[in-house]
Amino acid sequence: MSRALVALALLAAALLPLALESEGYAIHVLTLALLFAALGQAWNIVGGLANQMSLGHAAFFGIGAYAATILQIRFGLSPWLGLVVALALGGLAAALISLPTMRLRGHYFALATLACGEVMRVIANTAAPLTGGPAGISVPFGAEGVWMMRFEGGRPIYWLMLGALVVVTVVFEVIRRGALGYRLRAVRENIAAAEAIGVDTARVKLQAAVISGALTAALGVLYAQFNFFFDPDTVFGVASISVRIALMAIIGGIGTAAGPILGALIVIPLEEFANAALSDRAAGLSQLVYGAVLIAMVLVEPRGLMALRFSWTFRPRRASA
Amino acid sequence: MQQVHAAAGASRRRLLTGTAGLVAAPFVIRSARAAEAVSIGVVMPLSGANAQFGINARNGVQFVADQINAAGGIKALGGAKIELVVADATSSPTNAASVAQRLITQNRVLAMIGAFASSLTIAISEITERRNLPLLTMSFSDEITGRGFKNIFQVVAKASVLGKAQLDLTMQLAQAAGQKLERIAIMYEDTAYGTSQSGGLRAAAKAAGVEVVMDEAYPLGITDVTPLINKLRGANAQAVFPVSYLNDSLQIIRAMRAQQIDIPTIGGAAGYVIPDFARGLGPAAEGVLSISPANYDLAPELTEPFRQRFGYFMVHEALENGVCLSVVAEALEKTGKADREALRDALRGHRFETGLAKAMTGGAVQFDATGLNTLSEPVMVQWRGDQLVTVAPGHLARAQAVWKR
Repeated sequence: MSRALVALALLAAALLPLALESEGYAIHVLTLALLFAALGQAWNIVGGLANQMSLGHAAFFGIGAYAATILQIRFGLSPWLGLVVALALGGLAAALISLPTMRLRGHYFALATLACGEVMRVIANTAAPLTGGPAGISVPFGAEGVWMMRFEGGRPIYWLMLGALVVVTVVFEVIRRGALGYRLRAVRENIAAAEAIGVDTARVKLQAAVISGALTAALGVLYAQFNFFFDPDTVFGVASISVRIALMAIIGGIGTAAGPILGALIVIPLEEFANAALSDRAAGLSQLVYGAVLIAMVLVEPRGLMALRFSWTFRPRRASA
Repeated sequence: MQQVHAAAGASRRRLLTGTAGLVAAPFVIRSARAAEAVSIGVVMPLSGANAQFGINARNGVQFVADQINAAGGIKALGGAKIELVVADATSSPTNAASVAQRLITQNRVLAMIGAFASSLTIAISEITERRNLPLLTMSFSDEITGRGFKNIFQVVAKASVLGKAQLDLTMQLAQAAGQKLERIAIMYEDTAYGTSQSGGLRAAAKAAGVEVVMDEAYPLGITDVTPLINKLRGANAQAVFPVSYLNDSLQIIRAMRAQQIDIPTIGGAAGYVIPDFARGLGPAAEGVLSISPANYDLAPELTEPFRQRFGYFMVHEALENGVCLSVVAEALEKTGKADREALRDALRGHRFETGLAKAMTGGAVQFDATGLNTLSEPVMVQWRGDQLVTVAPGHLARAQAVWKR
């Protein structure tokens, strides 16, 4: 994509909320889509560039959400500072998880990371004095103010999410184009060959994991400020977070900057639309339709919708077949 | 909307071009409502682990809405009909919050009823409180009215009160049968509902000087309860208090019966008081006790039409959610205008005694400053065949409890 096109898209995205009702549903869904786009992008650093299929990113997400919210409740700490704390804790957690799991590949890596997320969920459920346990935790409700990330209407948090998506995407692009990106792709293509040409594969994987984990934790803080309430099963959930994050990149196209963004902008509104249109019909129908459409998307183009776009651009005959 | 339909049409190219429309289109719901109809949002878990409860709850609200509409709607609003906007909260608080947002801005609901599970209700209340929209609920958690929110109304007793009543009423039943309870077992699922209710139970046991010889949390969706029941066997308890939703409750009772443990079992509402419990267990359900925030046999004349329409007795979540709507309707009659803040003010303080509200314990509903219904009193119910009979407290009992020591 050309630079002008990116700038134009960004400008449109920034101006869009002005055309929408400030506390409306559309802005709410778009904010959620931006959040998941950013999460998918952070995941993309590990899952896309190095093809390390993490299904445990909820661990970092939840750590960020809990850390900042607990600090806000106990010490009145601003969520902006909470973001810094979350970055540090998320990076640390990613390093700790990465050390024992990085030698695993494919399904084994996915399962090991899945377990890490589940462990965090159990801990958060059990450590009730700190986390509020299964009853969940609410972000304090008070006067509006930028310092405490409390805003009037839905636009500021939309812009905040958009900003977060831009930051994460820039980080992703910088990595992808830089030396780390090449090393990660070397790891993805053939780890033995990468070792042979002198790539310190362990270190490269660790770096990617730490950056990805730190960003995911920071996004957890924004989620808490957006949704105001969460419980362990939500922020550490396999289906609600871990798989969903990966899904954004998988549906959109793994390893590309536009993939998770496209994925989130389709998947999240699709889920909402299915619910809005169908949930007053037969119970559970909306989820069934949503699931069926996702399966269809993956069957039609396993490489993600980005690949679909390229195949149309460059090989129109195949697409029309 | 055209783009939305194109996306559903599923051609690949159109799917992609339709995406932009999908993203930006405010999802207009086809709703041919009359101009004066009053929209009430009903957000329930209609899919996932709690779907059966959500469906029961929806049926309860639908039942009351149809009654009100058949009787001429809200008279103070010129006979305005009640229009329900039903939405699936799924089982995730994130989705529940999105749904609530949607109902407020797209469907312009005047009030909301939901969402069975406490975590969903709390997530929704964070939205409704910021938008000054009344939310009526039958979720138990203490958190719901414990946060100083002004727009939330809890029609049932809180979980801690239910937990306390679960123990206290059991003590009374045992005493009436000539037994003094000294050792009890508690097992609960580690959800918001399980932990807060078992907390009340534990505190009441301590206050009553009863020893808790087993106090076990287990994860929701447990697949093998045998270790739990083995532990129960070894604990030598005189009565067991399981707090759980449906699947776990079936497993627990089955495993107990398989091991021939037949000490009195006092469930914590939810899974223990719905027809599926007796259907799933057959004769093994007979005599199982449970606490419940309300029971249909206290007002058979009001709840029998529900059974005739839906084919099963009016379970408590159907009853209480119906009461939520009944209370809203009466408050609207009182204010005479469809305004959310006027409605909220009308809800507080007034004693609601019409419609299904009469079926609640105390014969009415009255909310205090926190939004809690102060008249609600938990009752003890017992399975007799496929019926639930209220057996305690004394002034509400419909039959004598069967207590097997």
